[in-house]
Amino acid sequence: MRRVFFVVFFLFIFSSGNVFAESNYVLPYPSFMPGSKFYKLQEVKDSALKYWYFGNFGQFTYNLKQADKYLVEAKILFEYKQYLLAYDALQKSNKYFLNAPDYLDAAKKENKNISENFNLLQEASQKHIEILESLKKELPTNVTWRPEKSASTELNLSDLINNSIKIRMAI
Amino acid sequence: MKKIIFILYGLFLLSLTLFSYSFVDHNLIYYQKLYTGFAFNNRGVVSVLYVVFVILFFLFYFLIIKLINEKIIVFKEIKYLVGFTCLFLLFSYPAMLSYDIFNYVATANVLFHYHENPYLIMPIAFIGDPLLLFTHAANKVALYGPAWIVISGLPFLLGIGNFFMVIINLKLTVIIFYLLTIFILWKFTKSLLAISLFAFNPLVIIEILVSGHNDIVMMFFALFSLYLVKQKKIFLAIVFMFLSIFIKYASIFLLPVFVYLLIQNYHKREIVWEKIFLISSISMFSIFLLSPLREEMYPWYAIWFLTFSLCLPKVKLLLYFSIALSFGLMLRYLPFMYLGTYFGITPIARILLTIIPIFILCLYGLFKLNKHKKYEKNI
Repeated sequence: MRRVFFVVFFLFIFSSGNVFAESNYVLPYPSFMPGSKFYKLQEVKDSALKYWYFGNFGQFTYNLKQADKYLVEAKILFEYKQYLLAYDALQKSNKYFLNAPDYLDAAKKENKNISENFNLLQEASQKHIEILESLKKELPTNVTWRPEKSASTELNLSDLINNSIKIRMAI
Repeated sequence: MKKIIFILYGLFLLSLTLFSYSFVDHNLIYYQKLYTGFAFNNRGVVSVLYVVFVILFFLFYFLIIKLINEKIIVFKEIKYLVGFTCLFLLFSYPAMLSYDIFNYVATANVLFHYHENPYLIMPIAFIGDPLLLFTHAANKVALYGPAWIVISGLPFLLGIGNFFMVIINLKLTVIIFYLLTIFILWKFTKSLLAISLFAFNPLVIIEILVSGHNDIVMMFFALFSLYLVKQKKIFLAIVFMFLSIFIKYASIFLLPVFVYLLIQNYHKREIVWEKIFLISSISMFSIFLLSPLREEMYPWYAIWFLTFSLCLPKVKLLLYFSIALSFGLMLRYLPFMYLGTYFGITPIARILLTIIPIFILCLYGLFKLNKHKKYEKNI
């Protein structure tokens, strides 16, 4: 009986892979991608929108939206093996994601109740980690990016993704 | 006789102000001492009282108009009548029929108190704010144009955080625009009858002076813009037309009329203002009819075309239609008041109550026409 128990126990341990809680947070559809004529226009529009999203809740929303947008952009670019562009997009996503909690802190100092936005940030963080973990499995650790007419660039994808996950786990 | 009518009218306005407080919301913590729950616990009685108030209001309207038409009430007395109508109703409870004034406060609160963009952040984002207890559109971003949000900032800030003061200031702002509208209409028509038909219309008075709707601000800027065209101040006219559009967007339907005016002005052609008012009223009536596509046909939207149509006393059919529709729209509140729900028979009852007065008017018109034909035959 004990032998059967151990067999079942070990089968269970080895058969179950890593299970992550799935977040219900919805990421946006991908927008214009680098290379599109409208990509630059969109970047200009997004820069202008920064001023439209005034106020600490506004800035929190803006930064989170930008973090989402660039994460989706990075995922697609990685899937198309456009490593350099994807690397830049993920760095941008990280930059915006890091900004978001600062605005929540500032809102808290203004006596605004930040509980709902904080929950939203946590859900976003969970979703981002899901995406990043799936990318981590599929991507090579290092890539040497060789453009046609310029010097090659060494990209440490593993470090970038680990760092991105760390940023999001810190929430 | 005239004095008695004035006293009765004053007493009527006072009663209406008192009646409005029977609608104080339980969640309106700032008016807790005034809360009785009467309107919510005695729906039948309140509905009957409301119908009586509406009928009496229209009777006073007809009486005042008749006395003005017969030149028994003169210019100075009209000024007094308008003045004390504003004064009495300034202190009425604004959410008797609509909670819009609370939405104005909530939107101004997002911008001027929390310093957030009301077009992005909903009032509901500010958990724990007492305004959320009674604001009905707290889960919507700003519904009004930027010009209105800026204008509402002044009464909001002058209220220095006192809700009662903010409400009074907002009503005062709307009253000022109501008076300015009457003034501009006077400049256009130079007719006591025309301005009185607008100024004393029960729908106009209830929706502006009781409920404090900002539609009058939009209409004032639109009218002022037309007036500036008349004065050949074209640049300012364009500015004020856009200001009007950025109050509540509906006046965008006046743009074709405005462009036509600019063309006429450019060619130095004579402008027939009665014709302009007629086209404007038709144009604004068409957007009023289209309003259910966006949300629903709210009674205060009628101000958009009544501003023009009531000032054309010579166009009898339009005038009678406007008055009948005003009456029907005032009755539109009745089904919810009685049943306390927007479902069930309420939607159909609202439509019926709105169109029945127009239907009766049509029947009366046909009867008159028939009588006239018979009379002609006999001759």
